[in-house]
Amino acid sequence: MRSVLSGVLTGIGTAAFIDETVFHQLLHWHHFYDKSTTDVGLVSDGLFHAGSWLAMVAGLVLYADVRRRGTLVPRKWWGGLFLGLGGFQLYDGTFQHKGLGIHQIRYGVDLAPYDWTWNGIAVLLLVTGALLLVRASRTPRPAAPRTEPRTPTRTR
Amino acid sequence: MTSALPAPFTAAVTTATVLGCLAYLAAAARLRARGDAWPYGRDALFCAGGAVLVAGVAEPWGAAPPFTAHMLTHLCVGMLAPLLLVLGRPLTLLLRTAPVPLRRGLVALTRSRWATAPALPPVAALLDFGGLWLLYRTPLLSVSHHSPWLNTLVHVHILLAGVLFSFGVLALDPIRHRPGYGLRAAVLLIGGTAHAVLAKSLYAAGPPGMSFGTADLHLASQVMYYGGDAVELALAAVVALQWYRSEGRALRRAGRPGPGGAPAAATRR
Repeated sequence: MRSVLSGVLTGIGTAAFIDETVFHQLLHWHHFYDKSTTDVGLVSDGLFHAGSWLAMVAGLVLYADVRRRGTLVPRKWWGGLFLGLGGFQLYDGTFQHKGLGIHQIRYGVDLAPYDWTWNGIAVLLLVTGALLLVRASRTPRPAAPRTEPRTPTRTR
Repeated sequence: MTSALPAPFTAAVTTATVLGCLAYLAAAARLRARGDAWPYGRDALFCAGGAVLVAGVAEPWGAAPPFTAHMLTHLCVGMLAPLLLVLGRPLTLLLRTAPVPLRRGLVALTRSRWATAPALPPVAALLDFGGLWLLYRTPLLSVSHHSPWLNTLVHVHILLAGVLFSFGVLALDPIRHRPGYGLRAAVLLIGGTAHAVLAKSLYAAGPPGMSFGTADLHLASQVMYYGGDAVELALAAVVALQWYRSEGRALRRAGRPGPGGAPAAATRR
């Protein structure tokens, strides 16, 4: 279960990081501030922003901890990662962009194709994550040597 | 228009900081001479914090547009310097090296309810971020621009509140209660949100009573937003690392029998 959680948190953090660097900083498609933003939108955006940084840190440390305990199930972790990536993007693309109107993907163009692509990719990511998790839970256990906790006393 | 800090204040902060760093180094050296372990990294962190603080009040970016310059000062004095100073664990050092009577007083202080209350993460966050909202969303900033005393007071508050916040959230030095990880993470989340929202809203509307240029406002807002991110990330990383280490200790305790076959008792955390 911690594998999934670690994956989800890391996924959220990674998606936020990509969003910030690629779309805000490199492409300048997203705006830092949209004059039409409401107060609620601003708070939601701030919470989302601060939360995604914390998710990144928590996800990575949790990953290290699960590995140390020898209970990491890679397929579950990947499943969680895709869920986190897709969940972030879908929430951002539907609720934040459309519902609250914090900012749009691009400015001065017809938005429809961009919105459909953005949210379509989000759904694909979510489906991938869900499939990985379903498969992980169907295979009873990963390969044999992994079942035994990897000597917690070894650490240090 | 520039809001340079009063010269006596800058001089006082610089002197106090240099003396503080020297005292820190002397105490650490004494500790090591005595045979106690005290990582050099902490000396470096504390002195770096001192350097950032001095840079903050000396404002070497005087040529920057006024609000951006103010924000850089805010970043140094209120966020980066407190983080670095607290990472040096000055209170722990003081508790180990101070003369015994002083040490008794300090121990009593760190155990008393009223003295440690301001360092409780939610209280510290309220003092810190509440103060910022007051500063930028009431006429306080514009009033303080015309009163060197008030301006000085504002900066002292920014520094102290920043130190309290870092101190409370990181909980590295021993005080009465170490707040749980959940509370500290929640306070970081809410504090980070308050900071990000304030920073972003400054992009659209500057502090009341001030007339900064649009470009200045935009730059200052982004300095505050991304600078805040960097410091918040560092705070979160330190807290997460503490959790990782404490889990590791718990694992070792569970996995390894203590001396004499008995499991190493959980006498200390």
